[in-house]
Amino acid sequence: MLKLDIGRIKRERIIIISGRRAVEISLLSIATSFVLFSLVLMYEGADPLVAYQNMFSFAFDPKLGLSLTIHRSVLILFTTLAFIIPLRAGLWNVGMEGQFYLGTIGAFFMAYTFASLPSEILIPLILLGAAAAGSLYGAIAGTLRGKFNVNEVVVTLMMNNIAFWLIYLLVVGGPWAGIAESSSRPLPKSAHAPYIFNTPFTSFLAIALAVVLFVFLTKTTTGFKIRVLGHSINTAKYVGIDEFKMSVLVMSLGGAIAGLAGYHMWAGDPAFLMIPRPEAYKAVGDLTYWGIILGLVTLLNPVPAIPASFFMGSIIVGATVLVRRLRLPFGFDFLFLGMISITFAAFQFFYNYRLKVMKK
Amino acid sequence: MFTRPDSESILEIRGLVKRFPNGVTALDHVDLVMKRGEIHAILGENGAGKTTLMNILFGILQPDEGEIYLNGEKVVFRSPLDAINKGIGMVHQHRRLIAAHTVLENIILGHPNTGKFIDKKKSRKEVEELCRRFGFKIDLDARVWQLSAGEKQLVEIVRALYRGAKILILDEPTSVLTPPEIDAFLDSIKAVSKEKVTLVPFVTHKLPEVFSISHRVTILRRGKVVKSLSIAEASIPKLAEYMVGRELSFELERVPTEPGAEILRVEKLSALNDKGLVAFKDVDFVLRQGEIFGVAGVTGNGQQELAETIMGLRKPVGGKIYFDGKDITKTSVLDRLKMGLAYIPPERIGVAAVGDLSLVDNVLLMYYFEKEMSRGGMINYKLAKQYTEKVISEFNVVAPGPTTKAAHLSGGNLQKLILGRVLLKTPKIIIANLPTQGLDIAAENYVRRKLLECKQKGISVVLISENLDEILQLSDRVAPIFEGRFVDILENINLRKEAIGAMIAGGFAERGVNRA
Repeated sequence: MLKLDIGRIKRERIIIISGRRAVEISLLSIATSFVLFSLVLMYEGADPLVAYQNMFSFAFDPKLGLSLTIHRSVLILFTTLAFIIPLRAGLWNVGMEGQFYLGTIGAFFMAYTFASLPSEILIPLILLGAAAAGSLYGAIAGTLRGKFNVNEVVVTLMMNNIAFWLIYLLVVGGPWAGIAESSSRPLPKSAHAPYIFNTPFTSFLAIALAVVLFVFLTKTTTGFKIRVLGHSINTAKYVGIDEFKMSVLVMSLGGAIAGLAGYHMWAGDPAFLMIPRPEAYKAVGDLTYWGIILGLVTLLNPVPAIPASFFMGSIIVGATVLVRRLRLPFGFDFLFLGMISITFAAFQFFYNYRLKVMKK
Repeated sequence: MFTRPDSESILEIRGLVKRFPNGVTALDHVDLVMKRGEIHAILGENGAGKTTLMNILFGILQPDEGEIYLNGEKVVFRSPLDAINKGIGMVHQHRRLIAAHTVLENIILGHPNTGKFIDKKKSRKEVEELCRRFGFKIDLDARVWQLSAGEKQLVEIVRALYRGAKILILDEPTSVLTPPEIDAFLDSIKAVSKEKVTLVPFVTHKLPEVFSISHRVTILRRGKVVKSLSIAEASIPKLAEYMVGRELSFELERVPTEPGAEILRVEKLSALNDKGLVAFKDVDFVLRQGEIFGVAGVTGNGQQELAETIMGLRKPVGGKIYFDGKDITKTSVLDRLKMGLAYIPPERIGVAAVGDLSLVDNVLLMYYFEKEMSRGGMINYKLAKQYTEKVISEFNVVAPGPTTKAAHLSGGNLQKLILGRVLLKTPKIIIANLPTQGLDIAAENYVRRKLLECKQKGISVVLISENLDEILQLSDRVAPIFEGRFVDILENINLRKEAIGAMIAGGFAERGVNRA
């Protein structure tokens, strides 16, 4: 009997994924999203190659987009790190947005309160304020989780809204309101962040922080405890690791890092706060959510998070030319960003499974 | 006696090869013939390729080379569904049942006749008919969580038979059963084989059971078929030799020791289990230096909770624990570890070790809190690596190197690592809970010898086991436990296995409450 039997594809589970495979998958997923978006561009009658060339030449042009690219990339790097640390202990911090706003509040509070101090003292104080405020905000979720086993995703997500309206109240018609609509009073000259090689010093701070966190996770005793807890709560209990202490620690650490993102975003560079109208506020807060995607893509490793953040930053900035310069329909830049994040998410499949073509 | 199996073969495997991406050849040209209605045991140590073979037969994995013939026809199983449709059933070691559903619901779940709408009446009739035919007694309306391990296994068997299985693969069928359940299980297996269903139990140890039921035994070693012989030609020492590849000395000598000073005292200790019910109540005992104190009992009688409570992993509801004269009832786990208490839990991956972490990190789990291991908060990984290499070499752990992930170790090697990392620092007390469960003969023997050696070093051991041979072989004193109470504490002199067996089955306990 003649039977046509076409080989089928079957998935096999991967128990431990290698770093090399993770890099390959990320590159493959980026390539896929570019190919898919090319189809959309062609449908609109645009030449994909021209579009991509325009995007990157804008994003990396020192006269045009480069400073914005760096600025956004650093923001994303901070939030990626803020997501990575808690998840290494098994806690999902999706409250980077709230901690980021709280960090902003902390920074501006310090800057306004101690405006008369010289830069050398004031700027560290501002940084400290940002980190402390974000850290306390994160610690709430960590405490609830460690003490009462309250789900940290729900807590952090809901606290994001509270944080936004808190900052909104302060800036729009509140005590910090400036002359321009929904902007704060500018910070005093002494609070202006220093530049190194014409880039905000926070860029170097973020990169250094990524390296320090890598060492912290892989070489220190506390980092070891965090990793064990993240792998297995039962093992952690078995070897006497205090789950409560660790939960509070990682969430405050994550919160502190997200707080620094708040410092970087406003206090660091423009030196004043600008809150868009509430219906549009998502534009800034949403950027913090790239931390989740990049954190997962980099397998929670702070070092690859550096290039990943800069890549995403360049696309976020570069994609704006699609609408402005190439006159593509409104929202095309966001469409591209959405496609990238969906492809990243879809390719997570290959972190867990390997496809195998079956012989007949 | 058994029914004689038909001479016609139902399943034939030719030249099966399976290589894994990490370079391991799990199966190396395996040939097998199974006959209709035959009970054909597959025997092998951990890592012999049993699991791989099983997964290929059930369509979970695909072979790289080789063919499978079913009733003379070549078949390819791409998924378990293919295998099920061709009449192959599997009874997993870890039951795959929905605990909140009834037995009947679990049995008809996924059956093609069930379709979109469930005709429970019709299915019930069919299942009842099937049970009658095989002589199974089973309450179809009970919820699965109410069942014992043996009953759950029966549900899995019935489910496979209801789906029309002609070949039943059984993964370590007796490993989680209590002795009376094993007898019942062996009876049901015989009943199934009488109905011309082929049974293929995969077994690591427990050779006597294999003997009492099988028609044929095939022994796997390192991915190859060493021998396939009918049970009439086999003997236990011969099978063990085929499995391990060399003559084994089963004899371990227990040197009687003078009872040393008291090291641990447990007074009127009680604790609850995870469901909030009493796990054990008013347990009293004294552990002396350099002795092995055997707690014999069927799993689930409070042993695990007792071990966890002594270790500080579970809060007692009453009673006191004294270590070296000091009250440690409220001391943290970390402090107890530092004092020299060590616990070897039955769950090797997930509690004792983390599969995703390297062997160095896994050894570090027992050392990270030591002063010498951290300098200014930084881990001394050089020292940790040294310790790991020492554990690997001193305790014969077969592993590519210290950076290997624990998940890649076989059960026996992992247990050697877990035991080794504790023994390397010479603790005062080791609480070993089912330390040889699921290990092959060589590893089992090794672990037992190491526990005996503890005595010479003055280490006291609390050995929790349901294997009475093991208990009698190793312990200086034996405490049979039943329903959370020590039935007695006996010196291990001329103790009879049957007597202990009766005690752990509740024969000597007062029967105050009526058990369901």
